Amino acid sequence: MSKMYTITSSQGWLTKAILYGLLVIMTVFYLLPLWGALTTSLKTDTEIDTTNPLTLPRDPTSKGYIDAYEYLRRSLLNSLIMTLCGTFGAVSLGAMCGYVLSKFRFKGDNLVFLLITAGIFLPYQAILIPLFQTIRTLGLYDSLLGLILTHAVYGIPIMTLMFRAFYGELPTSLVQQAMTDGSGPWRTYWKVVLPSTKIATVTAVIFQFTAIWNELLFGLVIGGPNSMPATVALNSLTGTLSAQWNVQMAGAMWVAAPVLFLYIVLGRYLVRGYMAGSVTAV
Amino acid sequence: MNRLMEPELTSSSASSGSWGWFTGIFRRHPFWVLIIPIGLVLYFVYGGLLWNVWVSISNWKGLAPSFGFEGFGQYSKMFGSYVFWIAVKNTLLLFLIIPFCLGLGAAIAVVLDQGLRGSSIFRSLFLLPFALSFVVTGTIWSWMYNPSNGILNALLHAMGLGALQGTWYTAQETVMWSIILAMIWQFSGYTALILLAGIKSIPEVQIRAAMLEGASKLRIYSRIVFPQLKGPVATAVVILMMYSLRSFDFIWVLTEGGPGFGSYTLSIYMYKQTFLATRFAYGAAVATVLLGIVLVIVVPYVYRTYRR
Repeated sequence: MSKMYTITSSQGWLTKAILYGLLVIMTVFYLLPLWGALTTSLKTDTEIDTTNPLTLPRDPTSKGYIDAYEYLRRSLLNSLIMTLCGTFGAVSLGAMCGYVLSKFRFKGDNLVFLLITAGIFLPYQAILIPLFQTIRTLGLYDSLLGLILTHAVYGIPIMTLMFRAFYGELPTSLVQQAMTDGSGPWRTYWKVVLPSTKIATVTAVIFQFTAIWNELLFGLVIGGPNSMPATVALNSLTGTLSAQWNVQMAGAMWVAAPVLFLYIVLGRYLVRGYMAGSVTAV
Repeated sequence: MNRLMEPELTSSSASSGSWGWFTGIFRRHPFWVLIIPIGLVLYFVYGGLLWNVWVSISNWKGLAPSFGFEGFGQYSKMFGSYVFWIAVKNTLLLFLIIPFCLGLGAAIAVVLDQGLRGSSIFRSLFLLPFALSFVVTGTIWSWMYNPSNGILNALLHAMGLGALQGTWYTAQETVMWSIILAMIWQFSGYTALILLAGIKSIPEVQIRAAMLEGASKLRIYSRIVFPQLKGPVATAVVILMMYSLRSFDFIWVLTEGGPGFGSYTLSIYMYKQTFLATRFAYGAAVATVLLGIVLVIVVPYVYRTYRR
Protein backbone atom coordinates (compact mmCIF):
# COMPACT_ATOMS: atom_id res chain seq x y z
CA MET A 1 0.00 0.00 0.00
CA SER A 2 2.70 2.50 0.97
CA LYS A 3 4.07 4.47 -1.90
CA MET A 4 7.61 5.56 -2.70
CA TYR A 5 7.01 9.19 -2.03
CA THR A 6 5.43 8.74 1.37
CA ILE A 7 7.35 10.19 4.22
CA THR A 8 8.21 6.87 5.86
CA SER A 9 11.73 7.23 4.56
CA SER A 10 12.42 10.76 5.65
CA GLN A 11 10.00 11.54 8.45
CA GLY A 12 11.34 12.27 11.90
CA TRP A 13 9.95 10.78 15.08
CA LEU A 14 8.16 14.06 15.80
CA THR A 15 6.17 14.01 12.56
CA LYS A 16 5.35 10.39 13.16
CA ALA A 17 4.22 11.10 16.72
CA ILE A 18 1.97 13.93 15.56
CA LEU A 19 0.42 11.78 12.83
CA TYR A 20 -0.24 8.90 15.21
CA GLY A 21 -1.63 11.38 17.72
CA LEU A 22 -4.12 12.58 15.11
CA LEU A 23 -5.07 9.03 14.28
CA VAL A 24 -5.69 8.24 17.95
CA ILE A 25 -7.88 11.34 18.37
CA MET A 26 -9.92 10.33 15.34
CA THR A 27 -10.23 6.78 16.66
CA VAL A 28 -11.64 8.14 19.92
CA PHE A 29 -14.12 10.27 17.95
CA TYR A 30 -15.38 7.34 15.88
CA LEU A 31 -15.39 4.70 18.59
CA LEU A 32 -16.62 6.69 21.60
CA PRO A 33 -20.35 6.13 20.95
CA LEU A 34 -19.77 2.44 20.27
CA TRP A 35 -17.66 2.05 23.41
CA GLY A 36 -20.34 3.75 25.49
CA ALA A 37 -22.97 1.45 24.02
CA LEU A 38 -20.88 -1.62 24.77
CA THR A 39 -20.16 -0.74 28.42
CA THR A 40 -23.77 0.29 29.04
CA SER A 41 -25.10 -2.93 27.52
CA LEU A 42 -23.18 -4.91 30.15
CA LYS A 43 -24.27 -2.92 33.19
CA THR A 44 -27.10 -3.44 35.65
CA ASP A 45 -29.94 -0.94 35.96
CA THR A 46 -28.56 0.52 39.18
CA GLU A 47 -25.02 0.83 37.87
CA ILE A 48 -26.27 2.83 34.89
CA ASP A 49 -27.85 5.37 37.20
CA THR A 50 -24.82 5.69 39.44
CA THR A 51 -21.78 5.52 37.15
CA ASN A 52 -20.32 7.34 34.19
CA PRO A 53 -21.49 5.57 30.99
CA LEU A 54 -17.93 5.22 29.69
CA THR A 55 -16.52 3.30 32.65
CA LEU A 56 -16.15 -0.45 32.51
CA PRO A 57 -18.95 -2.33 34.24
CA ARG A 58 -17.92 -3.36 37.76
CA ASP A 59 -20.09 -6.42 37.66
CA PRO A 60 -20.79 -7.29 34.01
CA THR A 61 -24.18 -8.87 33.41
CA SER A 62 -25.71 -10.48 30.36
CA LYS A 63 -29.22 -9.56 31.54
CA GLY A 64 -29.52 -6.75 29.01
CA TYR A 65 -28.60 -9.10 26.18
CA ILE A 66 -31.03 -11.77 27.34
CA ASP A 67 -33.92 -9.32 27.69
CA ALA A 68 -33.18 -7.71 24.34
CA TYR A 69 -32.93 -11.12 22.69
CA GLU A 70 -36.29 -12.14 24.09
CA TYR A 71 -37.79 -9.06 22.49
CA LEU A 72 -35.91 -9.27 19.16
CA ARG A 73 -35.71 -13.05 18.63
CA ARG A 74 -38.51 -13.37 16.11
CA SER A 75 -37.52 -10.26 14.20
CA LEU A 76 -33.87 -11.28 13.98
CA LEU A 77 -34.98 -14.50 12.30
CA ASN A 78 -37.28 -12.52 9.98
CA SER A 79 -34.39 -10.24 9.07
CA LEU A 80 -32.09 -13.16 8.41
CA ILE A 81 -34.54 -14.85 6.02
CA MET A 82 -35.46 -11.55 4.37
CA THR A 83 -31.82 -10.50 3.96
CA LEU A 84 -30.54 -13.83 2.64
CA CYS A 85 -33.35 -14.22 0.10
CA GLY A 86 -33.37 -10.53 -0.86
CA THR A 87 -29.61 -10.58 -1.36
CA PHE A 88 -29.87 -13.71 -3.48
CA GLY A 89 -32.52 -12.06 -5.66
CA ALA A 90 -30.75 -8.74 -6.07
CA VAL A 91 -27.35 -10.32 -6.72
CA SER A 92 -28.72 -12.83 -9.26
CA LEU A 93 -30.65 -10.21 -11.21
CA GLY A 94 -27.84 -7.66 -10.96
CA ALA A 95 -25.19 -10.17 -12.04
CA MET A 96 -27.33 -11.10 -15.04
CA CYS A 97 -27.63 -7.45 -16.05
CA GLY A 98 -23.93 -6.87 -15.44
CA TYR A 99 -22.92 -9.88 -17.56
CA VAL A 100 -25.12 -9.05 -20.51
CA LEU A 101 -24.40 -5.31 -20.41
CA SER A 102 -20.63 -5.77 -20.22
CA LYS A 103 -20.11 -8.64 -22.67
CA PHE A 104 -22.87 -8.34 -25.26
CA ARG A 105 -23.87 -5.50 -27.51
CA PHE A 106 -27.39 -4.78 -28.61
CA LYS A 107 -29.35 -1.82 -29.84
CA GLY A 108 -30.02 0.52 -26.92
CA ASP A 109 -27.72 -1.26 -24.49
CA ASN A 110 -26.36 2.00 -23.14
CA LEU A 111 -29.87 3.31 -22.61
CA VAL A 112 -30.80 0.15 -20.70
CA PHE A 113 -27.72 0.57 -18.51
CA LEU A 114 -28.59 4.20 -17.85
CA LEU A 115 -32.23 3.42 -17.06
CA ILE A 116 -31.35 0.66 -14.61
CA THR A 117 -28.48 2.36 -12.79
CA ALA A 118 -30.20 5.76 -12.51
CA GLY A 119 -32.37 3.94 -9.97
CA ILE A 120 -29.43 4.18 -7.54
CA PHE A 121 -30.41 7.78 -6.87
CA LEU A 122 -34.08 7.03 -6.31
CA PRO A 123 -35.48 8.66 -3.16
CA TYR A 124 -37.63 5.86 -1.78
CA GLN A 125 -40.29 8.26 -0.55
CA ALA A 126 -41.14 8.99 -4.17
CA ILE A 127 -42.23 5.37 -4.83
CA LEU A 128 -43.48 4.48 -1.37
CA ILE A 129 -47.20 4.92 -2.02
CA PRO A 130 -47.20 2.94 -5.29
CA LEU A 131 -45.06 0.26 -3.64
CA PHE A 132 -47.42 0.05 -0.68
CA GLN A 133 -50.38 -0.19 -3.04
CA THR A 134 -48.75 -2.83 -5.26
CA ILE A 135 -47.71 -4.99 -2.33
CA ARG A 136 -51.21 -4.76 -0.86
CA THR A 137 -52.82 -5.66 -4.19
CA LEU A 138 -50.54 -8.68 -4.50
CA GLY A 139 -51.65 -9.76 -1.04
CA LEU A 140 -48.08 -9.50 0.21
CA TYR A 141 -48.57 -6.85 2.90
CA ASP A 142 -46.93 -7.94 6.17
CA SER A 143 -45.23 -10.92 4.55
CA LEU A 144 -41.57 -11.81 4.22
CA LEU A 145 -42.16 -12.51 0.54
CA GLY A 146 -43.26 -8.91 -0.03
CA LEU A 147 -40.16 -7.58 1.73
CA ILE A 148 -37.90 -9.97 -0.17
CA LEU A 149 -39.40 -8.94 -3.50
CA THR A 150 -39.04 -5.25 -2.62
CA HIS A 151 -35.43 -5.54 -1.50
CA ALA A 152 -34.48 -7.69 -4.49
CA VAL A 153 -35.98 -5.19 -6.95
CA TYR A 154 -34.48 -2.04 -5.42
CA GLY A 155 -31.10 -3.77 -5.18
CA ILE A 156 -30.95 -4.28 -8.96
CA PRO A 157 -29.59 -0.81 -9.88
CA ILE A 158 -26.54 -0.80 -7.59
CA MET A 159 -25.83 -4.50 -8.25
CA THR A 160 -25.97 -3.91 -12.00
CA LEU A 161 -23.47 -1.06 -11.67
CA MET A 162 -21.11 -3.18 -9.59
CA PHE A 163 -21.27 -6.34 -11.68
CA ARG A 164 -20.89 -4.48 -14.95
CA ALA A 165 -17.74 -2.85 -13.55
CA PHE A 166 -16.43 -6.20 -12.23
CA TYR A 167 -17.18 -8.15 -15.42
CA GLY A 168 -15.86 -5.28 -17.50
CA GLU A 169 -12.42 -5.92 -15.97
CA LEU A 170 -12.54 -9.49 -17.24
CA PRO A 171 -10.85 -9.74 -20.67
CA THR A 172 -13.46 -10.09 -23.39
CA SER A 173 -11.11 -12.46 -25.23
CA LEU A 174 -11.52 -14.96 -22.37
CA VAL A 175 -15.27 -15.02 -22.84
CA GLN A 176 -14.91 -15.07 -26.61
CA GLN A 177 -12.57 -18.03 -26.44
CA ALA A 178 -15.06 -20.06 -24.43
CA MET A 179 -17.83 -19.17 -26.86
CA THR A 180 -15.71 -20.18 -29.86
CA ASP A 181 -15.02 -23.50 -28.14
CA GLY A 182 -18.72 -24.17 -28.34
CA SER A 183 -20.19 -23.36 -24.96
CA GLY A 184 -23.17 -21.03 -25.00
CA PRO A 185 -23.35 -17.73 -23.12
CA TRP A 186 -25.09 -19.44 -20.21
CA ARG A 187 -22.44 -22.18 -19.87
CA THR A 188 -19.69 -19.62 -20.41
CA TYR A 189 -21.01 -17.66 -17.49
CA TRP A 190 -20.92 -20.63 -15.10
CA LYS A 191 -17.70 -22.15 -16.46
CA VAL A 192 -15.60 -19.04 -17.09
CA VAL A 193 -17.04 -15.77 -15.83
CA LEU A 194 -18.27 -16.75 -12.37
CA PRO A 195 -15.21 -18.79 -11.32
CA SER A 196 -12.82 -16.01 -12.32
CA THR A 197 -14.73 -13.27 -10.46
CA LYS A 198 -15.22 -14.94 -7.08
CA ILE A 199 -13.88 -12.01 -5.08
CA ALA A 200 -16.13 -9.60 -6.95
CA THR A 201 -19.14 -11.78 -6.17
CA VAL A 202 -18.26 -11.95 -2.48
CA THR A 203 -17.87 -8.16 -2.46
CA ALA A 204 -21.28 -7.60 -4.02
CA VAL A 205 -22.99 -10.16 -1.78
CA ILE A 206 -21.62 -8.59 1.40
CA PHE A 207 -22.47 -5.09 0.21
CA GLN A 208 -26.06 -6.04 -0.57
CA PHE A 209 -26.45 -8.15 2.58
CA THR A 210 -25.54 -5.22 4.84
CA ALA A 211 -27.69 -2.82 2.81
CA ILE A 212 -30.81 -4.98 3.24
CA TRP A 213 -30.10 -5.93 6.85
CA ASN A 214 -29.65 -2.28 7.83
CA GLU A 215 -32.75 -0.90 6.12
CA LEU A 216 -35.73 0.48 8.07
CA LEU A 217 -38.21 2.25 5.78
CA PHE A 218 -39.53 -0.71 3.76
CA GLY A 219 -39.92 -2.79 6.90
CA LEU A 220 -41.87 0.03 8.50
CA VAL A 221 -44.22 0.52 5.54
CA ILE A 222 -44.90 -2.94 4.12
CA GLY A 223 -43.89 -5.08 7.10
CA GLY A 224 -46.13 -5.79 10.05
CA PRO A 225 -46.32 -7.87 13.21
CA ASN A 226 -45.74 -11.14 11.34
CA SER A 227 -42.83 -10.02 9.18
CA MET A 228 -41.20 -7.33 11.31
CA PRO A 229 -37.47 -6.97 10.52
CA ALA A 230 -34.97 -6.47 13.35
CA THR A 231 -34.46 -2.77 12.59
CA VAL A 232 -38.16 -2.05 13.04
CA ALA A 233 -38.25 -4.14 16.23
CA LEU A 234 -35.22 -2.34 17.66
CA ASN A 235 -36.91 0.96 16.94
CA SER A 236 -40.05 -0.11 18.79
CA LEU A 237 -37.93 -1.48 21.65
CA THR A 238 -36.53 2.02 22.03
CA GLY A 239 -40.06 3.32 22.27
CA THR A 240 -41.33 0.86 24.87
CA LEU A 241 -38.46 0.75 27.35
CA SER A 242 -37.24 4.31 27.29
CA ALA A 243 -35.49 4.07 30.64
CA GLN A 244 -33.68 0.75 30.35
CA TRP A 245 -30.59 1.81 28.47
CA ASN A 246 -28.76 -1.47 29.02
CA VAL A 247 -31.51 -3.38 27.19
CA GLN A 248 -31.59 -0.81 24.40
CA MET A 249 -27.83 -0.85 23.90
CA ALA A 250 -27.79 -4.66 24.02
CA GLY A 251 -30.56 -4.61 21.41
CA ALA A 252 -28.48 -2.32 19.22
CA MET A 253 -25.60 -4.78 19.58
CA TRP A 254 -27.81 -7.70 18.54
CA VAL A 255 -28.95 -5.86 15.43
CA ALA A 256 -25.40 -4.74 14.67
CA ALA A 257 -23.97 -8.23 15.27
CA PRO A 258 -24.19 -9.74 11.75
CA VAL A 259 -22.72 -6.61 10.18
CA LEU A 260 -20.00 -6.40 12.83
CA PHE A 261 -19.21 -10.06 12.24
CA LEU A 262 -18.89 -9.52 8.48
CA TYR A 263 -16.89 -6.36 9.11
CA ILE A 264 -14.37 -8.17 11.28
CA VAL A 265 -14.10 -11.34 9.18
CA LEU A 266 -14.51 -9.96 5.65
CA GLY A 267 -13.90 -6.25 6.21
CA ARG A 268 -11.73 -5.73 3.16
CA TYR A 269 -14.50 -6.96 0.88
CA LEU A 270 -16.93 -4.55 2.47
CA VAL A 271 -14.47 -1.70 1.99
CA ARG A 272 -14.06 -2.76 -1.64
CA GLY A 273 -17.82 -2.76 -2.00
CA TYR A 274 -18.12 0.76 -0.63
CA MET A 275 -15.47 1.87 -3.11
CA ALA A 276 -17.18 0.10 -6.00
CA GLY A 277 -20.48 1.65 -4.96
CA SER A 278 -19.01 5.10 -5.32
CA VAL A 279 -16.96 4.74 -8.49
CA THR A 280 -19.61 6.13 -10.79
CA ALA A 281 -17.58 9.26 -11.43
CA VAL A 282 -14.03 8.53 -10.33
CA MET B 1 -16.03 -3.93 -26.42
CA ASN B 2 -16.21 -6.60 -29.10
CA ARG B 3 -19.33 -7.86 -30.65
CA LEU B 4 -19.61 -11.44 -29.48
CA MET B 5 -22.42 -12.56 -31.69
CA GLU B 6 -20.40 -13.73 -34.62
CA PRO B 7 -22.44 -15.50 -37.29
CA GLU B 8 -20.42 -18.74 -37.29
CA LEU B 9 -21.00 -19.17 -33.55
CA THR B 10 -24.74 -19.36 -33.92
CA SER B 11 -24.71 -22.69 -35.75
CA SER B 12 -22.36 -24.43 -33.32
CA SER B 13 -24.64 -23.52 -30.42
CA ALA B 14 -27.55 -25.54 -31.74
CA SER B 15 -26.18 -28.60 -29.97
CA SER B 16 -26.10 -27.21 -26.43
CA GLY B 17 -28.86 -29.48 -25.15
CA SER B 18 -32.10 -28.36 -23.58
CA TRP B 19 -30.75 -24.83 -23.16
CA GLY B 20 -30.43 -24.48 -26.92
CA TRP B 21 -33.43 -22.18 -27.27
CA PHE B 22 -32.09 -19.97 -24.48
CA THR B 23 -28.66 -19.82 -26.06
CA GLY B 24 -30.28 -18.87 -29.34
CA ILE B 25 -32.11 -15.97 -27.74
CA PHE B 26 -29.00 -14.98 -25.84
CA ARG B 27 -26.94 -14.78 -29.03
CA ARG B 28 -29.46 -13.11 -31.27
CA HIS B 29 -31.31 -10.85 -28.84
CA PRO B 30 -29.42 -10.43 -25.56
CA PHE B 31 -31.93 -7.73 -24.61
CA TRP B 32 -34.65 -10.33 -24.03
CA VAL B 33 -32.51 -12.17 -21.49
CA LEU B 34 -32.82 -9.09 -19.29
CA ILE B 35 -36.54 -8.68 -19.72
CA ILE B 36 -37.31 -9.65 -16.11
CA PRO B 37 -34.94 -7.20 -14.38
CA ILE B 38 -35.75 -4.49 -16.93
CA GLY B 39 -39.47 -5.05 -16.43
CA LEU B 40 -39.13 -4.95 -12.64
CA VAL B 41 -37.13 -1.72 -12.75
CA LEU B 42 -39.53 -0.11 -15.24
CA TYR B 43 -42.50 -0.97 -13.07
CA PHE B 44 -41.13 -0.43 -9.57
CA VAL B 45 -38.90 2.59 -10.29
CA TYR B 46 -40.27 4.52 -13.25
CA GLY B 47 -43.85 3.31 -13.04
CA GLY B 48 -43.76 4.03 -9.31
CA LEU B 49 -42.49 7.57 -9.85
CA LEU B 50 -45.21 8.40 -12.39
CA TRP B 51 -47.88 6.74 -10.27
CA ASN B 52 -46.77 8.77 -7.28
CA VAL B 53 -47.05 12.01 -9.25
CA TRP B 54 -50.51 10.95 -10.34
CA VAL B 55 -51.53 10.24 -6.73
CA SER B 56 -50.46 13.78 -5.83
CA ILE B 57 -53.05 15.23 -8.23
CA SER B 58 -55.71 12.61 -7.49
CA ASN B 59 -58.62 12.66 -5.06
CA TRP B 60 -57.19 9.89 -2.82
CA LYS B 61 -58.01 11.19 0.66
CA GLY B 62 -58.44 8.39 3.17
CA LEU B 63 -57.23 4.81 3.44
CA ALA B 64 -59.15 3.53 0.42
CA PRO B 65 -57.29 4.27 -2.82
CA SER B 66 -58.96 6.56 -5.30
CA PHE B 67 -57.47 7.70 -8.57
CA GLY B 68 -59.85 10.33 -9.93
CA PHE B 69 -58.29 13.57 -11.11
CA GLU B 70 -58.53 16.32 -8.56
CA GLY B 71 -56.00 18.97 -9.56
CA PHE B 72 -53.12 20.73 -7.93
CA GLY B 73 -54.91 21.58 -4.72
CA GLN B 74 -52.52 19.47 -2.62
CA TYR B 75 -49.60 21.53 -3.90
CA SER B 76 -51.13 24.88 -3.06
CA LYS B 77 -52.13 23.54 0.35
CA MET B 78 -48.57 22.28 0.83
CA PHE B 79 -46.87 25.50 -0.26
CA GLY B 80 -49.14 27.37 2.13
CA SER B 81 -48.23 25.14 5.09
CA TYR B 82 -45.52 26.43 7.41
CA VAL B 83 -44.66 22.89 8.49
CA PHE B 84 -43.74 22.09 4.90
CA TRP B 85 -41.29 24.99 4.86
CA ILE B 86 -39.77 23.85 8.16
CA ALA B 87 -39.22 20.46 6.53
CA VAL B 88 -37.63 22.08 3.46
CA LYS B 89 -35.36 24.22 5.63
CA ASN B 90 -34.26 21.26 7.77
CA THR B 91 -33.65 19.10 4.71
CA LEU B 92 -31.40 21.73 3.16
CA LEU B 93 -29.75 22.36 6.55
CA LEU B 94 -28.47 18.79 6.44
CA PHE B 95 -26.31 19.79 3.46
CA LEU B 96 -24.07 21.37 6.12
CA ILE B 97 -22.59 17.92 6.69
CA ILE B 98 -20.95 18.19 3.25
CA PRO B 99 -18.19 20.76 4.00
CA PHE B 100 -17.46 19.11 7.35
CA CYS B 101 -17.29 15.61 5.89
CA LEU B 102 -15.08 16.82 3.04
CA GLY B 103 -12.72 18.72 5.35
CA LEU B 104 -12.45 15.94 7.90
CA GLY B 105 -12.34 13.31 5.17
CA ALA B 106 -9.52 15.09 3.32
CA ALA B 107 -7.50 15.44 6.51
CA ILE B 108 -7.93 11.77 7.33
CA ALA B 109 -7.16 10.73 3.76
CA VAL B 110 -3.89 12.68 3.79
CA VAL B 111 -2.81 11.19 7.14
CA LEU B 112 -3.70 7.69 5.95
CA ASP B 113 -1.72 8.32 2.77
CA GLN B 114 1.56 8.69 4.68
CA GLY B 115 2.29 4.98 4.64
CA LEU B 116 2.27 4.69 8.43
CA ARG B 117 2.18 1.21 9.89
CA GLY B 118 -1.40 0.26 10.78
CA SER B 119 -3.00 2.70 8.34
CA SER B 120 -5.42 0.13 7.00
CA ILE B 121 -6.58 -0.77 10.53
CA PHE B 122 -7.32 2.89 11.24
CA ARG B 123 -9.13 3.15 7.92
CA SER B 124 -11.39 0.26 8.92
CA LEU B 125 -12.06 1.78 12.34
CA PHE B 126 -13.04 5.14 10.83
CA LEU B 127 -15.35 3.44 8.36
CA LEU B 128 -17.11 1.31 10.96
CA PRO B 129 -19.91 3.82 11.75
CA PHE B 130 -20.88 3.88 8.07
CA ALA B 131 -21.28 0.11 7.96
CA LEU B 132 -23.82 0.08 10.78
CA SER B 133 -27.56 0.50 10.37
CA PHE B 134 -28.98 3.97 10.98
CA VAL B 135 -31.31 2.27 13.42
CA VAL B 136 -28.34 1.01 15.43
CA THR B 137 -26.51 4.33 15.33
CA GLY B 138 -29.73 6.23 16.03
CA THR B 139 -30.32 4.11 19.13
CA ILE B 140 -26.74 4.60 20.28
CA TRP B 141 -26.81 8.35 19.68
CA SER B 142 -30.02 8.71 21.65
CA TRP B 143 -27.99 7.40 24.59
CA MET B 144 -25.03 9.62 23.65
CA TYR B 145 -27.28 12.66 23.68
CA ASN B 146 -29.50 11.72 26.62
CA PRO B 147 -29.60 14.95 28.66
CA SER B 148 -29.88 13.44 32.15
CA ASN B 149 -27.07 10.89 32.28
CA GLY B 150 -26.13 10.21 28.66
CA ILE B 151 -22.60 9.69 27.42
CA LEU B 152 -21.82 13.19 26.16
CA ASN B 153 -23.12 15.13 29.11
CA ALA B 154 -21.48 12.72 31.57
CA LEU B 155 -18.20 13.05 29.68
CA LEU B 156 -18.38 16.86 29.64
CA HIS B 157 -19.17 16.83 33.34
CA ALA B 158 -16.22 14.54 34.10
CA MET B 159 -13.92 16.80 32.09
CA GLY B 160 -15.00 19.80 34.11
CA LEU B 161 -16.81 21.22 31.11
CA GLY B 162 -20.26 21.01 32.66
CA ALA B 163 -21.08 24.40 31.14
CA LEU B 164 -21.04 22.78 27.71
CA GLN B 165 -23.65 20.18 28.63
CA GLY B 166 -26.48 20.45 26.15
CA THR B 167 -30.12 19.68 25.62
CA TRP B 168 -29.13 17.98 22.33
CA TYR B 169 -32.06 16.34 20.57
CA THR B 170 -34.58 17.23 23.26
CA ALA B 171 -34.86 20.95 22.39
CA GLN B 172 -35.95 22.55 19.14
CA GLU B 173 -32.96 24.91 19.05
CA THR B 174 -30.37 22.13 19.22
CA VAL B 175 -31.99 19.12 17.62
CA MET B 176 -30.86 19.70 14.02
CA TRP B 177 -27.29 20.44 15.13
CA SER B 178 -27.25 17.20 17.09
CA ILE B 179 -28.40 15.29 14.02
CA ILE B 180 -25.81 17.03 11.85
CA LEU B 181 -22.99 16.16 14.29
CA ALA B 182 -24.05 12.50 14.38
CA MET B 183 -24.28 12.37 10.58
CA ILE B 184 -20.78 13.84 10.26
CA TRP B 185 -19.66 11.05 12.59
CA GLN B 186 -21.31 8.44 10.40
CA PHE B 187 -20.28 9.77 6.96
CA SER B 188 -16.85 11.40 7.30
CA GLY B 189 -14.98 8.08 7.38
CA TYR B 190 -16.72 7.10 4.16
CA THR B 191 -15.83 10.45 2.60
CA ALA B 192 -12.22 9.83 3.60
CA LEU B 193 -12.33 6.46 1.85
CA ILE B 194 -13.56 8.01 -1.41
CA LEU B 195 -10.90 10.72 -1.30
CA LEU B 196 -8.16 8.24 -0.35
CA ALA B 197 -9.09 6.08 -3.34
CA GLY B 198 -8.76 9.20 -5.50
CA ILE B 199 -5.34 10.02 -4.06
CA LYS B 200 -4.10 6.46 -4.60
CA SER B 201 -5.16 6.57 -8.24
CA ILE B 202 -2.89 9.50 -9.07
CA PRO B 203 0.09 8.23 -11.11
CA GLU B 204 3.18 7.93 -8.94
CA VAL B 205 5.46 9.35 -11.61
CA GLN B 206 3.92 12.78 -11.19
CA ILE B 207 4.64 12.84 -7.51
CA ARG B 208 8.13 11.43 -7.79
CA ALA B 209 9.01 13.99 -10.45
CA ALA B 210 7.86 16.78 -8.16
CA MET B 211 9.89 15.34 -5.29
CA LEU B 212 13.00 15.20 -7.47
CA GLU B 213 12.54 18.89 -8.16
CA GLY B 214 12.58 19.41 -4.42
CA ALA B 215 8.90 20.29 -3.93
CA SER B 216 7.72 20.21 -0.33
CA LYS B 217 4.99 17.87 0.91
CA LEU B 218 2.59 20.75 1.31
CA ARG B 219 3.26 21.86 -2.24
CA ILE B 220 2.82 18.37 -3.64
CA TYR B 221 -0.59 18.03 -2.02
CA SER B 222 -1.82 21.52 -2.84
CA ARG B 223 -0.48 21.68 -6.39
CA ILE B 224 -0.58 18.10 -7.63
CA VAL B 225 -2.81 15.90 -5.49
CA PHE B 226 -5.81 18.06 -4.55
CA PRO B 227 -6.40 19.57 -8.01
CA GLN B 228 -6.79 16.02 -9.36
CA LEU B 229 -9.46 15.10 -6.83
CA LYS B 230 -12.31 16.90 -8.56
CA GLY B 231 -13.94 13.65 -9.64
CA PRO B 232 -13.88 11.99 -6.19
CA VAL B 233 -15.00 15.24 -4.53
CA ALA B 234 -17.95 15.51 -6.94
CA THR B 235 -18.85 11.90 -6.19
CA ALA B 236 -18.65 12.47 -2.44
CA VAL B 237 -20.76 15.64 -2.67
CA VAL B 238 -23.49 13.92 -4.67
CA ILE B 239 -23.54 10.87 -2.37
CA LEU B 240 -23.70 13.06 0.75
CA MET B 241 -26.47 15.16 -0.79
CA MET B 242 -28.44 12.02 -1.58
CA TYR B 243 -28.05 10.77 1.98
CA SER B 244 -29.16 14.17 3.31
CA LEU B 245 -32.22 14.30 1.07
CA ARG B 246 -33.22 10.72 1.81
CA SER B 247 -32.34 10.87 5.50
CA PHE B 248 -35.16 9.18 7.25
CA ASP B 249 -34.00 6.21 9.31
CA PHE B 250 -31.62 8.01 11.67
CA ILE B 251 -33.95 10.93 12.39
CA TRP B 252 -36.94 8.64 12.77
CA VAL B 253 -35.16 6.57 15.41
CA LEU B 254 -33.72 9.55 17.27
CA THR B 255 -36.67 11.99 17.32
CA GLU B 256 -39.47 10.91 14.94
CA GLY B 257 -39.28 14.51 13.71
CA GLY B 258 -39.61 16.13 17.11
CA PRO B 259 -39.54 17.89 19.43
CA GLY B 260 -42.53 19.60 17.87
CA PHE B 261 -41.63 20.03 14.20
CA GLY B 262 -38.00 20.64 15.19
CA SER B 263 -36.43 17.88 13.08
CA TYR B 264 -39.04 17.45 10.36
CA THR B 265 -37.37 16.77 7.03
CA LEU B 266 -39.21 16.17 3.76
CA SER B 267 -38.79 12.40 4.21
CA ILE B 268 -40.19 12.47 7.74
CA TYR B 269 -43.01 14.83 6.73
CA MET B 270 -43.96 12.63 3.79
CA TYR B 271 -44.03 9.47 5.90
CA LYS B 272 -46.06 11.03 8.71
CA GLN B 273 -48.61 12.64 6.39
CA THR B 274 -49.04 9.52 4.28
CA PHE B 275 -48.93 6.59 6.65
CA LEU B 276 -49.84 8.08 10.01
CA ALA B 277 -52.32 10.77 8.98
CA THR B 278 -53.40 8.73 5.89
CA ARG B 279 -53.36 11.81 3.69
CA PHE B 280 -52.07 9.94 0.67
CA ALA B 281 -52.47 12.61 -2.01
CA TYR B 282 -50.78 15.18 0.20
CA GLY B 283 -47.92 12.82 1.05
CA ALA B 284 -47.46 12.08 -2.65
CA ALA B 285 -47.16 15.82 -3.31
CA VAL B 286 -44.41 16.13 -0.67
CA ALA B 287 -42.64 13.13 -2.23
CA THR B 288 -42.86 14.77 -5.65
CA VAL B 289 -41.12 17.88 -4.33
CA LEU B 290 -38.41 15.65 -2.86
CA LEU B 291 -38.05 13.93 -6.23
CA GLY B 292 -37.76 17.33 -7.92
CA ILE B 293 -34.87 18.36 -5.66
CA VAL B 294 -33.12 15.02 -6.26
CA LEU B 295 -33.49 15.39 -10.03
CA VAL B 296 -31.99 18.89 -9.99
CA ILE B 297 -28.89 17.44 -8.33
CA VAL B 298 -28.66 14.08 -10.06
CA VAL B 299 -29.44 14.86 -13.70
CA PRO B 300 -26.37 17.07 -14.33
CA TYR B 301 -24.18 14.60 -12.45
CA VAL B 302 -25.48 11.57 -14.36
CA TYR B 303 -25.23 13.45 -17.64
CA ARG B 304 -21.61 14.34 -16.97
CA THR B 305 -20.73 10.82 -15.83
CA TYR B 306 -22.43 8.76 -18.49
CA ARG B 307 -21.45 10.92 -21.43
CA ARG B 308 -18.07 9.23 -21.31
